[in-house]
Amino acid sequence: MTRGDEFRKCLVGENPVAVLMLGLCPAAAVSTRVIDALWMSAGIVIVLLLSSLCMSLIARGGRREGKELRSGAPAGRWLGALAISSCMTASFEIVLLAFAPEATAGLGIYAPLIAVNCLVLSGIDASSRSDSVGGSLLTAAANGIGFAAALVVIALVREVLGAGTITLFPVAGFSGTIAIPALSSDPARAFGLAGGGLVCLGFLAGAVRAVRRRALPVPPAKDGLT
Amino acid sequence: MTHATSLSRGGVNPPDNSLTSRTAAISNAAVPSLAVIPLLQHAGSAARCVVKPGDLVGEGMLIGKADGVHSANVHSSIPGRVLEVRAWQAPDGPPCQAVVIELLGAFEKSGRRQEMRVWESLPRIDVLGRIQAAGVVGLGGEQVPTHLKLAMAPGRAVSLLVANGVSCEPSLSADYALMKEKAREIVEAMKICRALLNPARMVLALGENAEDLVAEFERTFRTCGMTSEIVLMPSRYPQGNEQILLSSLDGTGLLSPPPSSSVVLNVATLNAVYEAVVFDRPLIERVLTVTGLPVAEPRNLKVRLGVRIGDLFDECGGLTAEIAKVVAGGPMRGVTVDSLDMPVTKGTLGVVAFSRAEARARRQWPCIRCGACIEVCPWDLEPTRLYKLIEQGDTATAEREGLSRCTECGCCAFACPSHIPLVALFRGGKEAHNRGSRG
Amino acid sequence: MTWRVTLCLLPAAGWGVFLFGLPAVLVLATSVGVAVAAELLSSLAFRRCTLGDGSAFLTGLLIGLLMPPGVPLYVPSAASVFAILVVKQSFGGLGRNWMNPALGGFVFALLSWGGAMTRWAAARGAPMSPALPPLEALRSALAATGAAGGSPLAILEKAGYPFSAVDASVVAWINTHVLLPLGTALRPGVFDLLTGHLAGRIGEVSAPLLLAGAGYLLARRIVRWEVPVLYIGTFGVLAGVFGGLSSGQGWLAGGPGFHILSGSLILGAFFMAGDPVTSPMTLTGRRIYGIGLGFLTFLLRFYGSLGDGVAVAILLGNCAVPLLDRLMRRRVPASARGGIE
Repeated sequence: MTRGDEFRKCLVGENPVAVLMLGLCPAAAVSTRVIDALWMSAGIVIVLLLSSLCMSLIARGGRREGKELRSGAPAGRWLGALAISSCMTASFEIVLLAFAPEATAGLGIYAPLIAVNCLVLSGIDASSRSDSVGGSLLTAAANGIGFAAALVVIALVREVLGAGTITLFPVAGFSGTIAIPALSSDPARAFGLAGGGLVCLGFLAGAVRAVRRRALPVPPAKDGLT
Repeated sequence: MTHATSLSRGGVNPPDNSLTSRTAAISNAAVPSLAVIPLLQHAGSAARCVVKPGDLVGEGMLIGKADGVHSANVHSSIPGRVLEVRAWQAPDGPPCQAVVIELLGAFEKSGRRQEMRVWESLPRIDVLGRIQAAGVVGLGGEQVPTHLKLAMAPGRAVSLLVANGVSCEPSLSADYALMKEKAREIVEAMKICRALLNPARMVLALGENAEDLVAEFERTFRTCGMTSEIVLMPSRYPQGNEQILLSSLDGTGLLSPPPSSSVVLNVATLNAVYEAVVFDRPLIERVLTVTGLPVAEPRNLKVRLGVRIGDLFDECGGLTAEIAKVVAGGPMRGVTVDSLDMPVTKGTLGVVAFSRAEARARRQWPCIRCGACIEVCPWDLEPTRLYKLIEQGDTATAEREGLSRCTECGCCAFACPSHIPLVALFRGGKEAHNRGSRG
Repeated sequence: MTWRVTLCLLPAAGWGVFLFGLPAVLVLATSVGVAVAAELLSSLAFRRCTLGDGSAFLTGLLIGLLMPPGVPLYVPSAASVFAILVVKQSFGGLGRNWMNPALGGFVFALLSWGGAMTRWAAARGAPMSPALPPLEALRSALAATGAAGGSPLAILEKAGYPFSAVDASVVAWINTHVLLPLGTALRPGVFDLLTGHLAGRIGEVSAPLLLAGAGYLLARRIVRWEVPVLYIGTFGVLAGVFGGLSSGQGWLAGGPGFHILSGSLILGAFFMAGDPVTSPMTLTGRRIYGIGLGFLTFLLRFYGSLGDGVAVAILLGNCAVPLLDRLMRRRVPASARGGIE
């Protein structure tokens, strides 16, 4: 499959949040403001990339030595994956705390949870089995961007409807918050709650799958994804 | 005479306008000039055609010979010439062939006095042979070849023989009219069956609304030297169903396995048995009810098999309103006919016409999960769930949840406030499942 | 059939309009209009116009009746849109929703605009400011005075809750001519409670008219009686026996009559809990559902802070309905009779 196809697949065909339903916890919790969604996406992408890089280098090194990361030893492989992902997440958190502490406040408990996010773990797992470092990096990037896209879309809807604002990075004279005139006085606060988030998530999943169904010429097999 | 308890659960009381048709006597319908006689009018395999186009046939002559054990003979109902043998399919049956005969020549049997044959001294096998030769099948709807029902495996005892006079469908009074006019013939047929089966107990089951026939039957039993119980069944549909009837009579519940030693015969079938054994008459005609809101004078007609359904309305004073659909059978379990050219077969209990206003009132809405269908199902099924499974194509799960136990009685469709055609859907589901399992 | 339910609600809606005037008319018109418009919009997606079954109109009407009069019109509009598009149509339309659409829209509005949804207006002829419905007034009176003792109406009277002059004269008349000779007396406030001359949601204030409409529905078996009757009965018993405990009044001091007539219990029990789509299909299931709803409403009203507890209780019940249906499914042995030979 070409690189372009791979990207498109992660964006729509197998979008982690909308189709594969991975990483729903942060998707529902951290999408109350656009800025939080952006920071979370950054975190996931960075941790994914770094962890995939580490894991595929280790796997390649192991193969050179003749020690395959056998699929018959999952415990060791998963322990290794968790260790790598935890290190990367902790590093990311430390850097974030140093340079953008308000982001840490926005992410809350979900920053350390990036380590055990299924998306990250499945990305690492795929890297340990893939042959090329470049290929696994690309897949990780694609997955991360797919996750980011879904998260930002949900956050846009939730923040606009639920708080009447759009919060972005404060830059130059711009405070970072765009207030939408009619909505910000009395927004529909239910969208800021978990239930509202799940409703948005559901509709996004439905929309993505509708697009996916139209794009696929052959009806997909009964894999529960339609 | 005793009263029996009603079916343990479910059932409905549909509107019953049989009073209009039961007051008049049975009238003979006109003999058709063209008879279309299918070779499959029974449960089992189709009869083998023994005539070819151009052949001259007499009234009551064999035109289809039973093919195998589970089959029955088919006879011509009119004298005439075979025009063609064409492909045919009942709305709810498999494809088969039908013999088309045009009326020609003289009636040899009708209108002439016939000779009564002795049967008491015959061995059982000969009596059964007469029934089989006449092509008698169950006329109450199931169309099981009667000689199979009456043949007993050696060493097996029949505990209960029931003459089923409970009307199988509301608004159909053909059985009532037949019992009124042919009580003696029916009782004689019960004697024949008793001789064949030697049951421990015999019951004549009547519906509550036929209570006026009890005295007549008691008198007839005495005259014919027969003893039998007469049981009045409550008028709740589907009390006339064989299994429900047996369950009410012998007290076993519907959830326990069926007793294998009971035999139920419809009174019309008994009349045909009498005619076959005593007069050697083959089954070429039957009594049915023509009724419905658009019918001017609903009545019971004795019709020749093969007559066109559309012609029967003329015998009943014609139609007073435009018809939206015609159902062959009863209003609950009947099958909508595709065209009025459909012929009357051995299994046609009645012809019911529905007006446009009635069809419009039954416009279909989505299921609102009210549970009325579950309440009325006599078999403890969940029609709403089965219907949704069939719609999704999952007939295997529907089968597991009891689809094959459905007798298509129509209680659920009747009770459904959204007018969902549940019986048609279940028929389709069963067919789809059988097709799938046959591969 | 759904149109008949709508017709049975119209007297109560009319009374609400009479008591609250133009704001009530606007709210009802908006909620119904937007619900119908939302259904038309989704008909485009389904390629089939489903307005004829009357369920969109009914949902809109119920949402309007659950709104306080004078609420800004975007609240019932958003509630209607949520109810029709999210709760009903996105699951497949009529018959396939598992949550009552009107209640879904109501709770969405309650969570989104809690302030607007609890800002009340006094009914015609009620000299109240700020306006408070009886239940909220009782809560604040109990919080203020502590263990006061007595029935809810007595507590309200002591707290100075203003009943109308009509109420005073009617109660006085009944007492002098009928009840005092018998040795009992009606409390002032009973008449107001029954006729809604106080404050509340548009549909809450007309108990007798709601009951009349519900009576017709029960008589015609459009709504099965098990769910509403068991609901109100269980709630009444629990409220009467245990209701006083949470506020320190003691046993048997809950005032069941007061609690049944206040809040949207009658509206919810007959017109929303009895909805066949979101209630169990089997008889036993419906009985359990009704009793469960009564218990949940009791818990939420006396020990919770979510208003009158009816809407959330019914929503929780809706969640349990598929489970009840599955548990009550008939188990028939494989050897059972049936089938066509």
